[in-house]
Amino acid sequence: MKLIYEKSVEGRKGYFLREDPYKEISLKDCIPGYALSRTKKELPEVSEVDVVRHFTALSKLNYGLDDGFYPLGSCTMKYNPKLNEHLALLDNFIYAHPCVDEDFVQGSLQVMYELNQYLSEITGMDQFTLSPAAGAHGELTGVLIMHKYFSDKGEFRHKILIPDSAHGTNPASAAMAGFNVVEVKSNERGGIDLAELHKLMDEDTVGLMLTNPNTVGLFDENIEEIAKVVHSKGGLLYYDGANLNALLGIARPGDAGFDIAHLNLHKTFSTPHGGGGPGAGPVGVKGHLIQYLPTPIVSYNGEKYFFEDVGEKSIGRLRAFWGNFSVLLKAYVWVLSIGDEGLKETAETSIINANYVMSKLKKFYKPVYDRFCMHECVLTGREYKEYGVKTLDIAKRLMDYGFHPPTIYFPHFEPYAEETIMIEPTESESKENIDLFIDTMIKIAKEIKTHAEIVKQAPHTTPVSRPDEVRAARNPILILKEINEDR
Amino acid sequence: MGYKLKEGIFYAKSDEWVSLDGDIATVGISDYAQDKLGDIVYIEEVAKGKKVKQGEVFTTIESVKAASDLNAPVSGEIIEINGDAASTPSIINQDPYGKGWIVKIKVKDPSEVNNLMSAEGYSEYRKE
Amino acid sequence: MKYIPNTDNEKKGMLKEIGVSSFNELIKDIPENIRLKKALSIPGPFDEEEIKEQVHSIAEKNVNFFSFKPLIGAGAYRHYIPEVVKAIVSREEFYTSYTPYQPEISQGNLQSMFELQTHLARLTGMDVVVPSLYDGASAAAEAVLMAVRITHKNRIIVSSLVHPHYREVITTYTKPHDIEIIELPFDKGCTDFSNLKNLLNANTAAVVVQSPNFFGGIENIAVIASEIHDTGALLIHSITESISLGLLTAPADMGVDIVAGESQSFGMDLNFGGPYNGYLATKTRFLRQLPGRIAGETADKNGKRAFVMTMRAREQDIRREKATSNICSNHALNIVAADVYLSLLGKNGLCQVALLNTKAAHYLKRKLAETNNFEVFEYPFFNEFVVKSKIDICEVKNRLSRKSFVPPLRVDKFYKKCEKYLLFTVTEIFKREELDEIAEILGVSR
Repeated sequence: MKLIYEKSVEGRKGYFLREDPYKEISLKDCIPGYALSRTKKELPEVSEVDVVRHFTALSKLNYGLDDGFYPLGSCTMKYNPKLNEHLALLDNFIYAHPCVDEDFVQGSLQVMYELNQYLSEITGMDQFTLSPAAGAHGELTGVLIMHKYFSDKGEFRHKILIPDSAHGTNPASAAMAGFNVVEVKSNERGGIDLAELHKLMDEDTVGLMLTNPNTVGLFDENIEEIAKVVHSKGGLLYYDGANLNALLGIARPGDAGFDIAHLNLHKTFSTPHGGGGPGAGPVGVKGHLIQYLPTPIVSYNGEKYFFEDVGEKSIGRLRAFWGNFSVLLKAYVWVLSIGDEGLKETAETSIINANYVMSKLKKFYKPVYDRFCMHECVLTGREYKEYGVKTLDIAKRLMDYGFHPPTIYFPHFEPYAEETIMIEPTESESKENIDLFIDTMIKIAKEIKTHAEIVKQAPHTTPVSRPDEVRAARNPILILKEINEDR
Repeated sequence: MGYKLKEGIFYAKSDEWVSLDGDIATVGISDYAQDKLGDIVYIEEVAKGKKVKQGEVFTTIESVKAASDLNAPVSGEIIEINGDAASTPSIINQDPYGKGWIVKIKVKDPSEVNNLMSAEGYSEYRKE
Repeated sequence: MKYIPNTDNEKKGMLKEIGVSSFNELIKDIPENIRLKKALSIPGPFDEEEIKEQVHSIAEKNVNFFSFKPLIGAGAYRHYIPEVVKAIVSREEFYTSYTPYQPEISQGNLQSMFELQTHLARLTGMDVVVPSLYDGASAAAEAVLMAVRITHKNRIIVSSLVHPHYREVITTYTKPHDIEIIELPFDKGCTDFSNLKNLLNANTAAVVVQSPNFFGGIENIAVIASEIHDTGALLIHSITESISLGLLTAPADMGVDIVAGESQSFGMDLNFGGPYNGYLATKTRFLRQLPGRIAGETADKNGKRAFVMTMRAREQDIRREKATSNICSNHALNIVAADVYLSLLGKNGLCQVALLNTKAAHYLKRKLAETNNFEVFEYPFFNEFVVKSKIDICEVKNRLSRKSFVPPLRVDKFYKKCEKYLLFTVTEIFKREELDEIAEILGVSR
């Protein structure tokens, strides 16, 4: 498709702005010559209709959640209720400036205060910060709190433990807090290798970052022992909430010994992914760590909501303002919509759906661990290598059948998790959609044996097929340089 | 192992190879390594004259979906960089033991190659 | 529950097919000890109408912001947002989709990334752009970390007229590392660079300057570029008000190495502070040190133009602890918003908005100067300016609030010594008559 620049026509206009009502003021008297651009910046010139058509056409090249099944493991692509979207667009919220006096924004502050309470109750933590913009931003908050906690105690610990199954953001966040990452191996049951944990957890280690259920979709059955080991050496246990969906109303990280937890509102709490963001990554802590939270937090004195400075031990400020307010509001509306029962039903249904997929597909795609899973199951495409078909090909073929592919090649750790296919149906998918997906996966398994080429060349029905990523990386074209009239 | 090997050169556990000509060592990555990485798209710039120690990272090599540190298989000073491999990294995939060499090192102690593996040993080590 | 399609009966059937008699058999791995044994104490479930009522009544507790026009900016600006922007970002294909890891079904997002990269490259004069980070403050912090990686040096010199919150974020991000931060003082509305030469040393990684700065002042960046580069340091240009790029010299033409910007003004609501959208723009030679996602052009297997996320080996999912940043989710939907906004405004529109902002702000400043209630200062500014109030600050607030204007920012919130100083922000949303009214309200002597 053409770029918007390739649709530009000199003199076209897509905006309504009044004429300059300040003709008596000369621009040259306002802005010194050295600062004024000598030419207009070369943006496109298109009409409103051109723009609407262009972006509508672009949107149709995308696959959204409302288009169909989106079983991306670890991403919790659940339905994004329309009610949330509607309420997040109320004028009094969207026009609220972040720096006005508190008495102007009592409503916005109330939402933040109450959401904080709900998240604390749901996770068993004592206080949240709503500042972090995303999961990884929450992780950064968490590891900075760990850093501050130890330096405050006069201890300078250098290492942090992270399982081999963890998301890449965990080690990357830990590195941003200056920690050396020590990898902990997974055991043959898909959990943390306890013997290794005992060996690695020492007094030079700040603690362990753990996703639970982990990225192979299993709840670590040794969680109590893990917490004990980490705490016995004075360490902190960090909860990566990527997979909290499985635990809603069933168990709480705060009751399982976790000291810090980040949530992904764009996963668990139904806010949309927006093509990669914005989400929100609130971080909850236990009482002894509240003093280190980023500043400020919203408090309530029975009459008025107000921002409260966390104090001098705070890790400081994480972003320009308070949080991704509209995302927070959507999560708030979701919690109110479903209540306690709904949360529990969410977790249960997501777990049933995932186990159902696994039980139906495990004959065709061997699970990494053949046990009941939580909210997602991790299968492999290993056995189709002998037909020359890669897991990637299976994913691409799914698009021809109208599905978004599952997460592939993640998690990856030897010797258990290779060529992985990570399927998370979430609670939003109906049985017949799940059945259709299962049938399609089985059909592809059969195709591989009879018509491997079709799978290897897939997708056949999408706007583009197999863009050359090697070429993109070897000869980077990262902006439009010249307009090619022939497009 | 279904990968190409070259006789008469030495291999490191981290998949680099080194061939010695007097005190000049030519260094590259093995066929196994290039295959595991996939299409190589970039080699991080290496400074000529950089001193390296055996086993120490001297550059990073990238494919679309992976990045891998390269360790110096011998200690010494980097005296030459293969400009062709830097500008056209695909030659590392095509000819890892020939045109796809990466750097030349002026070696301090040629006996360091005794810490490395022969083609036979490496083949055994990478047997799957 | 209405967001769960499967009925209890269907679930029972599924459990049976899984081969268990009850749900509890599936969660045996969760130790009994830590199972939740009580109902969560949260309100709900409420039906749709009840929730609407509740949330509407909470919203009513805010002032009626639509008609309360803000004279406050300070890093968050109310501008004209064409309805088209909202219509497009409300399309489910944009807002409900995931990160474009599968390019075949994500060309919409990927092309929009590429388009915004191009817009921002043309506005800043730079070669490469990361189109989305969380916000301008985290972009500034990432730019600082980037400069430290590029130069292998650790002194950062920051203008004290970089947004105070941005400076705090830079401190938060750099604290665990051995990085020294030194602030440059200001004089009236601009940074005082007279001591910069003495502070720049062989260990300096970067100098961070915001322009227009926190007081709206336009910094003469070009004059400091060469002395910064002579010591091997980089010049980072922080921008909170990107509309200014419609009129002001492209950063690249002033010797800037990294632009760390906030693009909220390009079609994003104020939303009480977020989500906004940060961006970085720099020279090709620093490409591999950039954090975050970048789209690139390539061709598909049939030779058709296609876009993909590229230069991925910088990122956390590939390089883990050696990644250039931990960022994963960014503010992608706002890429689309900014792309739509800049496409609509285009070459002439952005220039026109910038012009209206400049003139409106200068107009109000002149009007205020004509009253006897404000002391004004001479320095070049864009759409924000500082005045010293001779009347009580609370009185200013009350007078403006009564007439449905959000009062300007009290500068002493951030600069203790600047008691009675106010930071006025005037964008194109104000009509000339409204500015006259404001001057009149504030001009009345007590």
